[in-house]
Amino acid sequence: MTDTTAAGALPADSADSAGGDPVLDITGLHRSFGSVQAVHDVSFHLARGGSLGIVGESGSGKTTTARIIVGLERADAGRVLVWGQDRSGPAGHGRSTRLERAREVQMVFQDPFLSLDPRVPVGGVLRETLRLHFPERRADHDRRVGELLDQVGLGAREAAALPRQLSGGQRQRVAIARALAVEPAVLALDEAVAALDVSVQAQILNLLGDIRRDTGIGYLFITHDLGVVRCVTDEVVVMRHGRIVEAGRTADVLADPQHAYTRLLLDSVPRPGWNPKLIAAARRAL
Amino acid sequence: MTTALVRRPGLARLRLSRNRTGRPWLYLLCLGFLAVVVLLALLAPWLSPHDPNAVDLGNALAGPSASHPLGVDGSGRDTASRLITGARTSLLGPLGVVVFSTVVGVVVGVTAGWRGGWLDSLLSRTTELVFAFPGLLLAILIVSIYGEGLIAPVVALGVAYLPYVSRLTRSLVLAERKRPYVEAYRVQGHSGLQICLRHVLPNIAPVVLAQSTINFGYALIDLAGLSFLGLGVPALTPDWGRMVFDGESAIQSGYPLSAILPCAAIVLTVVAFNVVGERWADQVARRDR
Amino acid sequence: MTTTPAKTPEFTLDVRGLRLQLPGAARPVLAGVDLTVGARETVALVGESGSGKSLTSRSVLRLLPPGATTEGTVAVQGEDVLTMDAKQLRRLRTHTAAMIFQDPRAAINPLRRVGDFLTESLRLNAGTPDADATERAVRMLEAVGLTDRVLRQYPGQLSGGMLQRVMIAAALMGDPALILADEPTTALDVTTQAEVVGLLDDLRERFGTGLLFVTHDLGLAAAISDRVYVMYAGRIAETGPAEALFEQPRHPYTAALLRSTPRLDAPAGRLAAIQGQPPSLREELTGCLFAARCPFATQVCTEDLPPHLPVPDEPSRLVACHHSDRLADQLAESALHD
Repeated sequence: MTDTTAAGALPADSADSAGGDPVLDITGLHRSFGSVQAVHDVSFHLARGGSLGIVGESGSGKTTTARIIVGLERADAGRVLVWGQDRSGPAGHGRSTRLERAREVQMVFQDPFLSLDPRVPVGGVLRETLRLHFPERRADHDRRVGELLDQVGLGAREAAALPRQLSGGQRQRVAIARALAVEPAVLALDEAVAALDVSVQAQILNLLGDIRRDTGIGYLFITHDLGVVRCVTDEVVVMRHGRIVEAGRTADVLADPQHAYTRLLLDSVPRPGWNPKLIAAARRAL
Repeated sequence: MTTALVRRPGLARLRLSRNRTGRPWLYLLCLGFLAVVVLLALLAPWLSPHDPNAVDLGNALAGPSASHPLGVDGSGRDTASRLITGARTSLLGPLGVVVFSTVVGVVVGVTAGWRGGWLDSLLSRTTELVFAFPGLLLAILIVSIYGEGLIAPVVALGVAYLPYVSRLTRSLVLAERKRPYVEAYRVQGHSGLQICLRHVLPNIAPVVLAQSTINFGYALIDLAGLSFLGLGVPALTPDWGRMVFDGESAIQSGYPLSAILPCAAIVLTVVAFNVVGERWADQVARRDR
Repeated sequence: MTTTPAKTPEFTLDVRGLRLQLPGAARPVLAGVDLTVGARETVALVGESGSGKSLTSRSVLRLLPPGATTEGTVAVQGEDVLTMDAKQLRRLRTHTAAMIFQDPRAAINPLRRVGDFLTESLRLNAGTPDADATERAVRMLEAVGLTDRVLRQYPGQLSGGMLQRVMIAAALMGDPALILADEPTTALDVTTQAEVVGLLDDLRERFGTGLLFVTHDLGLAAAISDRVYVMYAGRIAETGPAEALFEQPRHPYTAALLRSTPRLDAPAGRLAAIQGQPPSLREELTGCLFAARCPFATQVCTEDLPPHLPVPDEPSRLVACHHSDRLADQLAESALHD
């Protein structure tokens, strides 16, 4: 099976490049909904401060994998280790475990129009998170809110605004600031730039790059867009029908794809001189 | 929010306030009318020109005059004073019904929608059972067991109105729970109860309150109907429904004013509550888009 | 366009000076759009959200937002859509022009069978007998690579890609001269996108229709179209043959858009993002609409609206920029450095 080699190849690689334990260690994840195997034997590592892309089409299981990792979904089998601690179950009921877990992995969702409470102004969103996680630093919250907004390129004017008064890109910046407020080790971005316009998408991708450089946070980048993967990830996992079909360093995988499906995905990206009929034929052959 | 409010078929025709942005005059008129009614009820002891229960049989069924601007009823009681004082009972009753049904309905609806599973099935089936039982009949039953008094019919109607609120709340919570922002808060480490109370509830509140405003009008009709039947409100307490009942014999004697005026008061108040409630619901719907 | 002769319906679609004003907006949503689509031609209309690209394509079927006022002409096969009466409009929508929407699931009634959906317009608007309409539906389904089994299925039983094929079949039912495709592949997976685009291209060739392909994806536009229009804030910024336009953009917006797209063949690392945001409809603007975000902007850009002028030596290209030549020089220079 390709996935076992992928799982075997990756840990040594990523652990070496980071020079330490992986922050995220996923082994043999399984999850089915009824008769559908949404996630089948998925294993990978995320090095500390690394950036890993999970690529696939709808139904590939990439989103379910991410949801298991952040605790929105439970796995039927397999292990999710964060900093070496088992986090396979759903988020616990206890307050301290819940908060501890939130500080490990945060998530940015696809639709910036729906992932914010329409009633809460931007400053309130951040303050709420800070109050929950750092109640002891209460006096410091105002400064921290300003700092977080500054980090994502927003100002005091946006702090007072309600989500509906902001553009899609600005809302996604708020969602990122909210995730960063928790100071997590890993940020899972579920198609976080897919709903944005090209020019705004570039701004957000650059912003994410800057944040990783400055904070050493790790990214788990769930996307269908290979251009985005190339731009922001070091390593990539290609998923299809719930299984990993190929994994490795992003540059290597994109330059020299080994699996036919990865090649199909690459060929499907429109470019001048592109022949959609050949791709359709290749897809049917697969 | 796509969830529709529950309206009774006859009154659904009265949705005059639906004209989108222009002509809020009807809404403003109704809001003004309600304000006047509420003020009258609050200031009744100071505003009513006579003692609403002062009987003057010698002056029975007299028409409007300087000292009795709206005439007197079959027992010679001043109609204007009875209308003003009656507004208290007539508004207090529905208020009790609405507060009870809203508070309990929201608790039931939120619990059912948020927790789901067996609890949802249990609560939903139970409220449906109540829904299937005519509210007015329930009230009559309870009143006939417990006798006169405002509490019994109010509680009975409160229970009867509960399913309107709880079903609406449940569907709203179900829709709201699927929104990604709820998941976002969960990932942030907030507990289910916190998310529910701090985010879900305030977001669905305007719709629920709009429904409750409409329910207020219906409760007013139902309670007036009960007191017209002589149930609920004690005989001597001034109440619009009771006044219609008392005025019945006056109509037969050819003096309809003392019966028609409370009727008009009931109808206008109910229409005003409907218009205002609809307008609020519309505003919420528009803001959501 | 200034160079094309009037009168004869030389183009399947000929939009001239289309202006569209919405109530409450400080400036027109469409500020003088000129656009043509010939028979058997694929034309891409590229822009970001709010650029007016969807409004332009919708105005071809006169699907205008409430309260909108228009100026200019939108001629489909020589007939102006904006002045048609209700009957002509219905004929236009049934027979002459058809639209394919972004989200096939949102554009189809989930409670009706696919067969009903396909034949409805012909049966009701053109009075075609049921049997004939069904026969045509089967032929069109075959043309898009589906079998007549689909006729009896419900939309919920089909995948997104299959459903978009159904929408294409539905668009072909009235044998239209023009197909308007509004982001038809945005909701689909990349491999499915290739399939749907290939199919559209095939059918355009086979049935001789013109295709106006509205998209935000520059790469896709370059890959499939003969000519491209790039739209910004309700105005055409630049137009020309797809290849030339992407090889050597003449408008700074096109150039910036190309640089900010994460591509497989571009160097990795930071993207050259366009600063700022597209102007809101509440702002009244003079001069070039892109000036506030443009690295080439000078005094003249904020004062005068740049006219659409042909690019020197390339008469098929028009560009609305005061500094088009400076951009060309810069591109040539950076090409030398590479």
